[in-house]
Amino acid sequence: MSRLLVVFLSVMLGSAIAHSDYHIPNLGEKATEFKDEGKEAHKREGMSHAASLILQRKMHPELLLHKRDKTLRQGVRGGYAQLKECVECHTSVDKNGEHVPINAPDQFCATCHEKVGTSLDCFSCHRTTPAEEL
Amino acid sequence: MKELNRREFIKNSTAVTASVATVASGISLTTFAAGPKETDPVTNEKRWGMLIDTNKLTEVDIEDMVSACQEEHGWGEETHSTGDQKPGWIKKVKVKDTATQRISNLALMCQHCEEPPCVDVCPTNASMKREDGIVLVDKHRCIGCRYCMMACPYDARSFVHEDLSNQKEHMPRGKGTVESCTLCVHKVDKGEQPACVEALNSDAVVFGDLLDPTSNIHQTLKRVQSTQIRADLNLNTGVRYSGI
Repeated sequence: MSRLLVVFLSVMLGSAIAHSDYHIPNLGEKATEFKDEGKEAHKREGMSHAASLILQRKMHPELLLHKRDKTLRQGVRGGYAQLKECVECHTSVDKNGEHVPINAPDQFCATCHEKVGTSLDCFSCHRTTPAEEL
Repeated sequence: MKELNRREFIKNSTAVTASVATVASGISLTTFAAGPKETDPVTNEKRWGMLIDTNKLTEVDIEDMVSACQEEHGWGEETHSTGDQKPGWIKKVKVKDTATQRISNLALMCQHCEEPPCVDVCPTNASMKREDGIVLVDKHRCIGCRYCMMACPYDARSFVHEDLSNQKEHMPRGKGTVESCTLCVHKVDKGEQPACVEALNSDAVVFGDLLDPTSNIHQTLKRVQSTQIRADLNLNTGVRYSGI
């Protein structure tokens, strides 16, 4: 009986350690703030918040691809999907008050991209933090 | 309740499907129609150009133009690039007439040709000309083959040889792509003037729409003698010079 208890306890302990070691992603402090405040980011007219969030999660590459060609090649400025707007809200600020690059490990873009193993090429050229105030 | 026979069942279900489809398409139509307003694409009713008067332009002026460009676009601080590898979107060029020994200084950048050789040679359509005449590199498509650099008669393009960070928000730049003067397209789209023209703030460099008869550049070009560099190539450049 005592042997069974030892086995049971060790299993419990093991699972507790495994759980505490579980990698908790940091999706950007700012994004968490948004959620806490209940701000409806990405709310599009005529679409529920949930629907527009799903649209954003599933289709952000398509939205951005479409926009980048229109902006660069046709000169269509402004509008809904802009990479700099993504960066504006979804970057975190570290202890020293400086912005953490959005493509750094555990940050907003990298968390999902690392998980699904897709490369994140936007930021080899694009700025990874919001523009400094002038 | 009345029992439905096969024919009635099909009839009813078709009517229901049709009405659902009508309503649903109405909903999706309104959803897409409610998107935010965007500006219209640029058209060929405009052609942006620049006139540089080398008689009025001093060497200091050209240096000011170069540093304004560097500040606007964030190039010139590449630490690992050496000599020829360093980018130069706009350069100070000294030309000397061998017969008369007359020296003039020019600011030389992408000439925004109407028939750009860089666009002709690009294998991926990355090198492109916008409808309003501004020649750009679409870095999303650029594979860094540098054919355009070979093709350009003005040596206006440069290649990024090193990893960069902290780029300007409006000017993404990255290793392995070609870049050149964009005629400050981000400012022009907002109705402003290119950074080098703003920095100088004199009539030595005039920027504007070449096709608009009321524009300053159109009227100046009508009045003064001007030339294109390598006019023999028939590229019909957007950047013109007077005094050389």
